[in-house]
Amino acid sequence: MLRRVEAFVGEHAAGKSEIAITRALALRQEGLPVALVDLDLVEPTYTLRPLQGRLREEGLDVIAWETKQTLGLGEAGMQLHPQVKGVLLRHSGYVVCDVGYGVYGSEVLALVEGLLDFPRLSVYLVVNTCRPLTRDEEQIVVEAQRFRPLHGLINNTHLGAETTVELVQQGARVVQAAAQRLHLPVVATAALVEVAEQMGKWDVCGNPVWPLKRYMPLAFW
Amino acid sequence: MDTIFIKEQRAFMTGNEVIAWAALAAGADIMYGYPITPQNEIMHYWTRLAPKYGRGFLQTEDELSAGFATLGGVMAGKKAFCATAGPGNVLMQEPISMAEMMRIPAVWFIQQRGGPSTATVIYSQQETRLTCFGGNGEGLRLVYSTATHQEIFDYTLKAFNHAWRYRFPTFVLGDGYQAKMREALTLYDPQTRGTQLQSTSPMLGVKGKVQHHRNTFNIEEELYETLSKHLAEWQQMAREVVEWSVSGDEEPDLLLVAHGVVSRATMAASKQLREKGYRVGHFRPITLRPFPITALQEIAGKSQQILVVESAHGQLMSLVRDALYGCSCAPVHGLLRPGLGITAEQVIRQAEELLPKRGYSGANHS
Amino acid sequence: MQIIHDRNPAMPKSWNRDSKPHRFCPGCGHGIFLKALGEVIDELGIAERTVFGCDIGCSLLAWDFFNVDSVQTHHGRTIPVVAGAKRANPELIVVAYMGDGGGYAIGAQHLVNAALRNEQITVLLANNSVYAMTGGQMAPTTLPGQKTGTTPYGRDPEATGQPTLGPEMVAAITSDRAYVARGTVANFPRLKRYVKQAIENQLAGRGFSFVEALSGCPTNWRTNAKQTWSYLDDEMTKYFPLGEIKVPKVSEEEQQ
Repeated sequence: MLRRVEAFVGEHAAGKSEIAITRALALRQEGLPVALVDLDLVEPTYTLRPLQGRLREEGLDVIAWETKQTLGLGEAGMQLHPQVKGVLLRHSGYVVCDVGYGVYGSEVLALVEGLLDFPRLSVYLVVNTCRPLTRDEEQIVVEAQRFRPLHGLINNTHLGAETTVELVQQGARVVQAAAQRLHLPVVATAALVEVAEQMGKWDVCGNPVWPLKRYMPLAFW
Repeated sequence: MDTIFIKEQRAFMTGNEVIAWAALAAGADIMYGYPITPQNEIMHYWTRLAPKYGRGFLQTEDELSAGFATLGGVMAGKKAFCATAGPGNVLMQEPISMAEMMRIPAVWFIQQRGGPSTATVIYSQQETRLTCFGGNGEGLRLVYSTATHQEIFDYTLKAFNHAWRYRFPTFVLGDGYQAKMREALTLYDPQTRGTQLQSTSPMLGVKGKVQHHRNTFNIEEELYETLSKHLAEWQQMAREVVEWSVSGDEEPDLLLVAHGVVSRATMAASKQLREKGYRVGHFRPITLRPFPITALQEIAGKSQQILVVESAHGQLMSLVRDALYGCSCAPVHGLLRPGLGITAEQVIRQAEELLPKRGYSGANHS
Repeated sequence: MQIIHDRNPAMPKSWNRDSKPHRFCPGCGHGIFLKALGEVIDELGIAERTVFGCDIGCSLLAWDFFNVDSVQTHHGRTIPVVAGAKRANPELIVVAYMGDGGGYAIGAQHLVNAALRNEQITVLLANNSVYAMTGGQMAPTTLPGQKTGTTPYGRDPEATGQPTLGPEMVAAITSDRAYVARGTVANFPRLKRYVKQAIENQLAGRGFSFVEALSGCPTNWRTNAKQTWSYLDDEMTKYFPLGEIKVPKVSEEEQQ
């Protein structure tokens, strides 16, 4: 198989980690070898770190710190895990990167040796239209400028437990409109399993629906 | 002022972001800050939003400077605010003391972290005492302890308004957990809900009026006179602003007491315990300073036992004991987990050890 | 030498008559430094816009010295207080007035960083080589060999370092828009000129300005008038050279 790399970028709390896990597990279920890489250098909470044991059990190769290996967690930003640097050299299958938020956008990808020159790199912007800075087409287009390269958008519109099909579909329309202006595809609409079941395979704009199982409530600290 | 929210909207974000948006909605003019986890995203989002709305920001050389520059900004007549945590909060007690003495209505956001010293950055209520009573003074402050993102938004608006109405340093006390937690809330422009934003008045730079402001006094009596006036005005404010919530059984076998994020666990525990048939009450101080003494005395007087739950080693418990001294015979127990998270299950376990076996509930009330 | 016949030399208009005679000790340099500032405020006609900030220590005795808005704080925090006010209201002309302890020791970080940020403020610092109000302990500016409450055998530079060269340090870290000088209360016209230049730099919006004044403390030095002037003129100037250390570059536009 051809190795591929997918990186999920976006705003603080846009749902990048949740999407990265969902995507990695879906690829794993197709029988592919998958590495899930924690590139969040900002946020000591809600990251892959506390979940890695569980995710390994599901067959993923998780590259992230163990909490007990870290010192001063969150105090001075996160240290880069040494294995992240060389993941492209070592790993033969799919590599899914969870990129933390910050002013640097996708520049963080430069920390993975060779990644920015990697031919089959796809960077996807995760968008929740319930966040004020990405609430409409205009704002999403502005937000997307921060990320280069960028290969697609993911609609992750939700309000936690209050999420409805209507809300997700409304988000899908906004993200679709922004994507058109950016000349980028909408890769998927992500929705909690219960919502996704009601939506079916495709969202209102004809983009695939990724059913999302929430892991992050288990990930705090 | 620019319209921040054209219409009310449900939004999904972290607690730190909520503060930045709420400060914007409250009409805050300028933030002075210094990096410390877990409050950093307040600055990150404020610096993204401020230029779009003509607001200011200054990153200073340390927390002392951030705190004192905030006082300068407020004295110049602007709604200025500051945010910090842990060791930063320790340093900021110096400017906060000056704010108490000079009645400077600065607003502070504290995202508590584990202590003492550097420690950890997430779950903690170990800055309760510091935020209420730090500094060399009498704790002439107003401290709101929030539990949800909606409250962070609502009480930020209230903090700016009450700071400028009563002119005491005012705090929104959160913690690393609330700072990072994701949750839905409604963002709104306070004026569309009939809440007028309090106007400001400069202490410096008013044309035709010379104002001298000092912290220093020549004689003890002079200080005492000034301080007595402040104390009386603080007491007056206390009556008007004190807030709490009480729920559950009115004559409980066990009264749970908690503030801030921990009250989410105790509220859930209270509900589940009552569903199991226990007689349980719940009391949550929303203002920690002033502390809702009378309200607590009232419910505590009808309670058989009290369980204080906090992510600190007795900081809330000492406030509770002070409030109840001589007014309640109910023993005060503590579920004290300094710097640790607290779940409803832990509260239930502890409560069930204290509660009379079901079926006997109320037997010894008559 | 000009002989002044008027028994009541003119008091600057910006001085607050109600707080005069002032509270400083006889022979103290603060009164002279603040007279320079007062005359400059008058000459520039900026009393309405001026905010005078003073610190802890003897400078706090000036909290109501002027007929201008004033704020008193401590520990060199006068710098962030006035910088914060200036950031919030750029119309203000702000002056932070302090001693060597506040500016060079406990609040040194504020002086350094305000200078580095080129804050649009003026810092005036009185260097009298001791912590005066606390009873004459060693200051950052205490001269080698000088006896103080905490150097009873004289300051030993091996153990406690050399006197802080404040203006030289500030000059080294500021941009070419800053003004930095060291004067002395023993030469009033020159000191006043420096203060005026400093305030004008702020008025022009060029940036940070800093004037240190060598200042006498006869009370803590235990010196009579003659000894005081001699210490100022002969001893202190050995370590603290007088003069303008940095004069801002003025653009052609500004000159016109």
